[in-house]
Parts: sequence; structure tokens; C-alpha cells
Amino acid sequence: MSDFSIIGKRTAMVDAAGKTTGAGKYTDDLTLPGMLIGKILHSPFPHARIKRIDSSRARALEGVVAIVTGKDAPNPYGILPVGHDEHALALDKVRYVGDNVACVAAISEAIAENALELIDVEYEVLPAYFDPEESMKAETDLIHENKLHNIEKDYHHVFGDPEKAFGEADYVAEGRFIANEVTHAAMEPHSTLAAFEIDSHTGKPGRLTVWSSTQVPYYLQHKLSLVLDMPMAQIRVIKPLVGGGFGGKSEVIPLEIIAAIAARAAKAPVKITYTREEVFWAHRGRPRSIIDLKTAVKKDGAITAVKARVVQDGGAYCSYGVVTILYSGALLGALYDIPNIQYDGYRVLTNKPACGAMRGHGTVNVRFAFESQLDEIAARLNLDPAEIRRRNLLKPPCVTINGLRVQSYGLPECIQQVVERSRWKQRKGQLGKASGLGIACSHYVSGAANSIIRSDMPHSTVNIKIDRDGGVVVYTGASEIGQGSDTMTAQIAAETLGCSLGRVKVVAADTDLTPIDIGSYSSRVTFMAGNATLRAAEQVKKQIASAAARKMNCAPEDVVFREDKVFRKGDTQGQSPTPLEPTQAAVSVSGRVEGQILRGSLQQKRKEEGQKYFLTFEEAVVAAIDFHGALTGTGSYAPPPEARGGKHKGAGVGPSPAYSYSAQVAEVSVDEDTGEVTVHKVWAAHDCGRALNPVSVEGQIIGSVWMGMGQALEEEMVWKDGMLMNPGLLEYRSPSSTESPEVEPIIVESVDPEGPFGAKECSEGSLAATIPAIANAIYDAVGIRLHESPFTPERVLAALRARKGAKPINLTEGVDPTAPRRFREHGGALWFRGKGPERHPLDPARREAADAGGDD
Amino acid sequence: MSLPEFRLLRPSTVEEAVRYLSQHAGNIRVLAGGTDLIPSMRQRLFEPEYVLDIRHIGELKGIRQGAEVEIGALTSLTVIEHSEFLRRHYPVLAEAASTVASPLLRNMGTIGGNICLVTWRKGCGFCIKKDGDLCHVAPGGSKCWAVFSGDTPPALLCLDAHIEIASSAGLRRIPLREFYTGIGDSYRRLEANELVTRIFLPAASADYRGIYRKLRIRGSIDYPLAGVAVVLKRSNGHVKDARLAITAVNPAPMLIKAAPQMLEGKAVDTNLAEAVGDLAAKTAKPLTTSALTPEYRREMIRVFTKRAVLAAANN
Ligand SMILES: Cc1cc2nc3c(=O)[nH]c(=O)nc-3n(C[C@H](O)[C@H](O)[C@H](O)COP(=O)(O)OP(=O)(O)OC[C@H]3O[C@@H](n4cnc5c(N)ncnc54)[C@H](O)[C@@H]3O)c2cc1C
Repeated sequence: MSDFSIIGKRTAMVDAAGKTTGAGKYTDDLTLPGMLIGKILHSPFPHARIKRIDSSRARALEGVVAIVTGKDAPNPYGILPVGHDEHALALDKVRYVGDNVACVAAISEAIAENALELIDVEYEVLPAYFDPEESMKAETDLIHENKLHNIEKDYHHVFGDPEKAFGEADYVAEGRFIANEVTHAAMEPHSTLAAFEIDSHTGKPGRLTVWSSTQVPYYLQHKLSLVLDMPMAQIRVIKPLVGGGFGGKSEVIPLEIIAAIAARAAKAPVKITYTREEVFWAHRGRPRSIIDLKTAVKKDGAITAVKARVVQDGGAYCSYGVVTILYSGALLGALYDIPNIQYDGYRVLTNKPACGAMRGHGTVNVRFAFESQLDEIAARLNLDPAEIRRRNLLKPPCVTINGLRVQSYGLPECIQQVVERSRWKQRKGQLGKASGLGIACSHYVSGAANSIIRSDMPHSTVNIKIDRDGGVVVYTGASEIGQGSDTMTAQIAAETLGCSLGRVKVVAADTDLTPIDIGSYSSRVTFMAGNATLRAAEQVKKQIASAAARKMNCAPEDVVFREDKVFRKGDTQGQSPTPLEPTQAAVSVSGRVEGQILRGSLQQKRKEEGQKYFLTFEEAVVAAIDFHGALTGTGSYAPPPEARGGKHKGAGVGPSPAYSYSAQVAEVSVDEDTGEVTVHKVWAAHDCGRALNPVSVEGQIIGSVWMGMGQALEEEMVWKDGMLMNPGLLEYRSPSSTESPEVEPIIVESVDPEGPFGAKECSEGSLAATIPAIANAIYDAVGIRLHESPFTPERVLAALRARKGAKPINLTEGVDPTAPRRFREHGGALWFRGKGPERHPLDPARREAADAGGDD
Repeated sequence: MSLPEFRLLRPSTVEEAVRYLSQHAGNIRVLAGGTDLIPSMRQRLFEPEYVLDIRHIGELKGIRQGAEVEIGALTSLTVIEHSEFLRRHYPVLAEAASTVASPLLRNMGTIGGNICLVTWRKGCGFCIKKDGDLCHVAPGGSKCWAVFSGDTPPALLCLDAHIEIASSAGLRRIPLREFYTGIGDSYRRLEANELVTRIFLPAASADYRGIYRKLRIRGSIDYPLAGVAVVLKRSNGHVKDARLAITAVNPAPMLIKAAPQMLEGKAVDTNLAEAVGDLAAKTAKPLTTSALTPEYRREMIRVFTKRAVLAAANN
């Protein structure tokens, strides 16, 4: 990319050294004078009415400053306008083990913890619902009074004429897939520090400042204002460094509001940092999904219709649930050309921690089902799995049957790349005993075209200010959460202004200082905040160009900005032979030495010299400031109306200005005696439009594959009567480095017409392909089709035994005979598999049992 | 969770240590590497008034060769894993040590702590083990089934290791196999005023082929979900002597008593290895945990035993 001097270069993250040396500060590193520690009392029951809370014994404990309960902030809130069903602290009912009941603010953590044990809460325990299919039958003891049958929301979409297409199909595949529940497991536990300025005249709490580990500072500001009954202008939210979010910090998490309520009551700053167990209770991860999927194809492999029924076990609150269930349907489209779609989605409430948004929000589990089924179809039709995918490509630019506009589309190249690099044609089916290759594709939005707050305001706004010495300050609301948004912002500003990266300072995510940005989620930041940065930089650049043009005696359009110089188009004078290298010449011309800007004499001297053939960046800036006064610019971004989707109910979710594409090939081997699966290598091609920072794109691809592999093989939340049995990083098994495969990231650049420099998203889309790629590779290796994730050794072994007619292992043999008839166990149905109420005829547990029995 | 408050005692000799132990018996916990004790205390499994930090008792560190091999209780798992001497003469122990937790935890964790490892560890609601009256894994029973999940004890059992226990009354020495009770909440025969000081490996156990196989989901960090240790000596292609022990599937690590007779004097083939596997699987009583069903884990005892026996017999 010789056209660029910063874009496309492998650039270290601008905050890398701070993080790696420990100098960087995360929320929990912060302290304020007089700061108290807050601890939250959680419900031990999955569903209960609170009859009485008596905190007098706790209050009497020395060192306890304040105790707050639901009454102290009774206003409801929720991330979605349609889902204001949460209270920071329970008002009348608790709805999951871990729900928030009270908070103690004390002078030390130990005292706060001891005080929790002295709070007496009287509960009236209610019947609870743990299985979504059971919960949907509920008539009484509803989790939320206004949600009949515990259904948060259901959608029923029909596009085209699926019935007809199924009737005319050459082959119809049908199956039930289950993806068990997973959570983000970000390295940094949630943490919030809240402080009120105490009005020195009235002694009352005045302005509030909140430091929090959040992906969405502006939503937090808004919800705080709702719950605390304060104007937003009185609330400042600052996001320090964040140690990963993956969606787990993309909405307002109870501690963020509780800390503020406690700080108001205590009239002192309060910090709350979740324990790891509390992080698991706060959750908002990917729901257990039961997917009944039916696909119609013609003999040549062309997909003619898809029918999906999805039931998501959403947990006790709405959270992002309505959006999740809509994404699951909407993103059936925009990857392949599917002319007829029927979708029935049910978001169901259960008495467990709320699910929410998680990397690949809404698409991952359905993609696992779809890509697995497509593989089954290919086997059935005797088609190469890569080929069947090629036969169903979209022909962009186009609008899909469910209203999604697709412009740039790198999927064909992604497939080609992974097929070539993995030597698919030569090696598929040839790897020998119990080893195999599998392919799968996926895609994701580059931000939602319609924001969840349904307004016409821009989704991102960015301001830029340039000082006399050529220092560029970019003010953006975009939240750096480790994904690299600050680096991206600096790169785009520097590239546009033709200045070096070191000149750019990014001030981000401080609601007092930075203009509004709706946050870091749905992979929107590069596309939207990136475009806003580009526009702001162009606006300032225009001002500099007009001043520089006067100095250089040319038209403003002919002024070129590059590598800290400003010169006339076609004039070679300005071009340094080795761009970016800080050669002696470049240093003296730019006046920039090791991060310092030389002022004064040099500038002054050149300023007096009359007409110029080129200007240094600073000279141009000085000329512009002299000419225009202050040098500032602003830019914002709102997705174009054409990209905002159809008119049907729920059409708002799914549309995006651009989609990323991914194709992956996984190579695995299976131990046929133990069922253990080893992933040896994953080739992952991702179309990110343009790679603004290739090293960052590769990092995101590798991270996505790795996280997908965790969900495919190891990660699973295990429940017993609503109690999470593995609420820690020892028992909740995210992969360790030893079993992480080699990942070969392959960047595909389709250059999107609307993305900043053509860029699209790169941080979520790859995840969804990994799970089915592994499932398909297992099928290639040992001929078993896994319908339930994760593919733990016991599930794999059970399927192997069933297939071979070998002695089946009875997974329920040792089950306690006194176990209740009601199906209480799931999250993998680890213990009481096959017990309980009738399972769906296509339930994988049944199917395996049936197969196993038949072969015996 | 914050660490509960306690007084830290730091003796530098065994005598001093056992004096503290008898002084505060019942209200004191020994801290060796701390990798098990500290998380347990944070989870409020114990809230002792005193913590006895024995890390400064120099004489309890290191491996000494003599008529028998003496391993100080404070010897780190990393040292055991990398000891050239142990790798050559007692390979099953070095291998078992190398599978514990992760490299960082092995740097801190000691062999004494591994032997004394507390059964079960998670505070997801109260059970018999801690304050409660209900067993999550075997509902309806009143016996505690908390599982023992240490990696090195099955290897040590195969090697017929003995341990030395010190108290203010002096030293006693018992075979390791008599140390464990098989009952989850009182899993070891160690009085409140006693300290495990040394582990002895008899010379007669040297130079056995040894294999340790561990079931876990991740390649690192995870406790064993099942573990099998085998030692075996051959002469003329036949088994001269063999021992087999399992871990993580019972409230104690267990020697499979009938295994030696089954193997002795035989040439090991797949059928024999399978028969030994069946035997081991019968002894295993795995119970519910948050990962992998008990049936699967028992099945893996069978598979791993077969594999370990074959590997030990045939290289
Ligand atoms: C994440 C994680 C993973 C782990 N994985 C494994 C694993 O895979 N396999 C495994 O075996 N273990 C595992 N462990 C447990 C532990 O790290 C090891 O068992 C280690 O060997 C314990 O030794 P320590 O010196 O740290 O014990 P400590 O924590 O110091 O002590 C453990 C217990 O033994 C008592 N004790 C210690 N020394 C003596 C003594 N000399 N006399 C009397 N009592 C004593 C202590 O009072 C305490 O109750 C894991 C731990 C963690 C945190």
C-alpha cells in the first residue's frame, strides 16, 4: 500500500508499553482519599420474594459506613429501552443465585465482607425455572409478571416462500443442535469507583464521577442518570484502561450503579471490584441455544430455503436478549444466497444470571448449526464441502431477502485462500487414521446500522484540536478495551493529516471531555468512530491546506500532506525517499526529536523566508492558526439510510453498513479410545475490508479462533438447580496455551466503499466459523456428527461408541436414583442426561442413546 | 474474597514448628507452598487463628540419596520434576510431579503439600465438608465423598513410599498407604499437632519402569479428573513385579491390590492390559464434578490403565 504511510503498516498499539510494564492504570488500581470498599450481598436462592431485610447488626459493626438496599434507588433500568427490568439492588424479588440484594460500604474489604454476614434477609422461596423449554410452559410464578410463559420476546419471520421451496427441494436436512452456555472470562474483573463532589455549601452530594471498566461509558452515564435521578450533565464517566470486555462490559453491570448508590449514601468515594465468582454471576454471556434447523437444497447443492427455530435460555433479565434473538435470525442472511427464510426465535427467561452480548453476538450458535448441517448436506450430495459453499455465494452489491445490504464481499477469496493454504484438495480425507480437515464460514456486522437507542443522532462524533507546535489531540468517545481503538484512531488521524503517529494524542472515553460515541460493541468502532475521525481530520486538514496554499502559491486542492510535510502536488521536493524512517533530514525538517517538538527558532526562521515550496507540518499548522484562529475540526458518522434494513418487526437488528467475512479450515485428530480432540492447526482467512493495522487484525483473528476453540471443546457453564457449579477460572476451562493450535491468520482486503480507508470489522466475525470448522473436521476424522457443543471427550466418545456399535458408555448409569423427575440439570446435561421430561425427538442426547441402543 | 485475618508463625526448625503445632492444635494450619491453603482460606474453607509458615525450615528441603532416598517435605514439585536422579531411578514420581497444575504453581507447590492436599475445594454452596449437611455429589448420603485430587500420591504409593511425621512427642514413620482414610472430610491420619517432614523411597523400588497418565481437559493447570500410576519391573520379557495406583476417583488415592498378582510372571499383551484396566475401573468410584461424568471418568481409568501398563511393559 504505497499510497499510505501509516495505514497498513504493522504498528505497535499506542498503549502497549503502559500495559506491559504495569504503568497503565485499570479501575481497580485507582484510589481516592477517604475511599471505601463496597461489597455486595447476593441472593442464595434462584427465585424468591424478599420479605424483610434487617441490616441493623451489620450497621453496628465498626468500620461500616453505609448499607444500601433496593429502596435506595428504586428506578428500573436495562440496556435496551424495551428491557428496563433490572434494579441495581433487588426491590421485591431475587431472580437468580447471585442476584444483588444489598451493598455494604466499609473502610476495608474484610470489614465489608464480615458485615455482609450480619445482614438478615428473610426470603419466601418461589418455584424456579432452569430449563428454557420447561420455562416456556410456565403459567404461574412468572419470573417477571408482565412476561407471559416467561418468554421475553418471540419473533416469527417469513421471507420469500419457504414452504414452497421445501416442497420442491431435492433434499432436506433436519436436525437439532445445542450450544451450551459460555461466558466471556475477560482477564480484568469488573471494577467501578464512584465519587460525589460534596457541595461545600449544602454538604449534599453534588456532581458524580465514575471510573469504570466499561465498553459503553455513555450508556453508563445515561443509566446512572435514570437510576440516581440526576441530570446527565452532573455525571462524568471515565473509562480507565480496560482488561478485555468481549461484550461482558457492553452494558451497565449492577456494580456500576451500586457503587454510585453506596457512594451517595456514604458521602465518600466507593470502589467495588467483583470477585471472579461475581463476574460469573454478572455474566451476560452467550445463552444456551436450542436450534432446530432445516435446510432445503437442490441436487447441485444450491440452498433454496432455511427454516430455523431457536430457543435461547436468556437467564433472569432481558439484557441484550431481544437483540440477541434477532441477530440469530437476521444473520442467517448476508453470508450465502438464501432465497427463502423462515425464522422462529424465542428468548426465554429462566432463574439464572442474565445472558447478554458476547463476541459474535447472536450469530455464533446458529452458525455452528448451519455450517454443520451444510457439511452434512455436502456429504449426502457427495459434494466437496468447500465447493458447496462456493455454489451458494451472494452476488453483491445486493440486498438479501431479509433486507441486509451487502457491498464488499471477500468471502470467495477467503474460501480460496484457506483451501489453498491448507492444501485442502490434496489432504482432505487423506490424513490417515482419526485425523481430518473441516471447513466453515462466518460473517459479522461492522456495527449496527440502527442503534439500540433509536435516534437519528450520529453513532460517533470525534473532535480534533491542533496546537501551534503541531501536536494533534483527538477527542473520541470510542472505548479502548484492549482491541486497539486508540491506535486505530491515532492511525487514521495521522494518515489523513500526513503527520507522524507520535504527534497524535488520543483522549478517549471521558464523558466530560469527549463527544458522544455509543460504545465498543458490535464491532462498530473502526467503521464508525474511524469514519468520524477521518471526517474530523479532513475538516482540519482543509483549514491547514487553505493556509498552506497561500504560502505556497497554489490551489488548496493541490496541497499534499505526507510524512510531516506539506507540499504541492507533483512537487517532488517534499517527498522523502524513505518514508517514515526518521532520517536526519526528516528530523530537522519536522523539528521533532524523540517525541519532543522543537519550538521557536527553527520555526521562526523558516516563517520569515517568504514563499515556500514545502512547509513542515508545524509551519503549516502555525500558518493555519494565524489565518483561522484556533485549529479544530469535528466529524461524525451515522450509517446511511440504505443500509438500515427492511420494515418488518425486528428489522432493525442485523443491518450494518458492511459485513466482514471469514472462512476457516481446521485440522484435528481424535483419540478414539478417549474421545479427546486435538486441534493441530487452523487456517483462518478474514475479509476486513482493509487492514489498517495488520498486526492488530491478525491478533483479532487469532483471538477469535482461540475463543471459538474454547467454546468448541472446553468451555461450558454447568448448573445445578440454578447454581453455577464452575464459577472460577479453574473449573470454567478456557483453553491454556498448551492445547492452543497454530493459527495461520490470512488477511483478505475487499476495500469497502464506505469504511474508513475501506476498513470493516475484524474482531468478531471469525469466531463463529471455528466451532463448525472443528465439528466438520471431527466428522472428516472419525465420521461422527456432533450436535452439541462443547465437544467434550465424553460426548465425542459416546458418539464414537454409538457409531461403531461398540459397547456404549451409559452416561447416566451412576445417577442418583432419588433425583427428582423434573429435569433440573443441564448446561451440558452432564449429570442427568436422558432423565427428566420427554426430550425433543431430535435432541442429540436421545439420538445418541437411541443409536447406541440399536447397535448393541 | 479477602484473606481472613490470622497470625503468621515462622519457625526455622522442626522442633520449633511442632511446638507451635501442639500449642495451638486445632486452631492452626501448616503453610508449605501455600498454593492450596491460600485459595482455601480465601474461600473460607478454613479460618485458623494461626498459620504456620514452615518454608524457613531448611532441613526439609531437597533430595538426599543414601540407603533409601529421602525427600524433604518442602521440596518443590519443580525440583522433583527436574531431578536427574529421580528421573532415572524413580521416573513415575518425576512424571507425576510434572503434571501438577502449571509451571508457576509447581515452583511454589511442595511434595508435602501435595500429599496433604485438602480434598475438594469449591465454595459453591455448603456441603458436608463445610458447615452443611447435604452432599452435592451423592445426595441422600451422610458420608463425605470429597475427592482426593493429588497427582504424586499414586506414584508414591506405587513406589511403596513411607512418610515421616513429627510431633512434640517425637518422630513416627508410616507407609504412605496407611495415611489416607478414604473418608472425604477426615481424609488423612494426621493429628492436629503433627507435621509431615520427610518422604522415603525404598532402594528396592528404584529402577522400575514407571508411567503416570492423567485425565484433564486442558493441557495445563487442571487437577486430575482421573489419574493412573504404574510401576513395573521385567525379567526375560515377563513381569517380575508391578504395582498400580489410581487417584482423583475416590476420596483417597488407592493402590489396586490385586493388580500385582494379575501381572506377575506374565508377558503383557493387550488382553492382559485390558483385564488390569477393568480391575482398576472397578475400584474407581468417581463422583460428580463440574466436568466430565463419573461414568466417563471410570471408563478413562480403564483406558489409561491399559495404556500405562502397555507402555510400562513395552517401553
Ligand atoms: C490452579 C491450581 C491448580 C492445581 N492443580 C493441581 C494438580 O493438577 N494436581 C495436584 O496434585 N495439585 C494441584 N493443585 C494443588 C496444589 O497446587 C498442589 O497440590 C501442591 O503440591 C500443594 O503444595 P503446597 O506446598 O502449595 O501446599 P499448601 O497449600 O502449602 O498445603 C496444602 C495442605 O497441606 C497441608 N500441609 C502442607 N505441608 C504440610 C506438611 N509438611 N505437614 C502437614 N501438613 C501440610 C497444609 O496445611 C494444607 O492444608 C492446584 C492448585 C491450584 C491453585
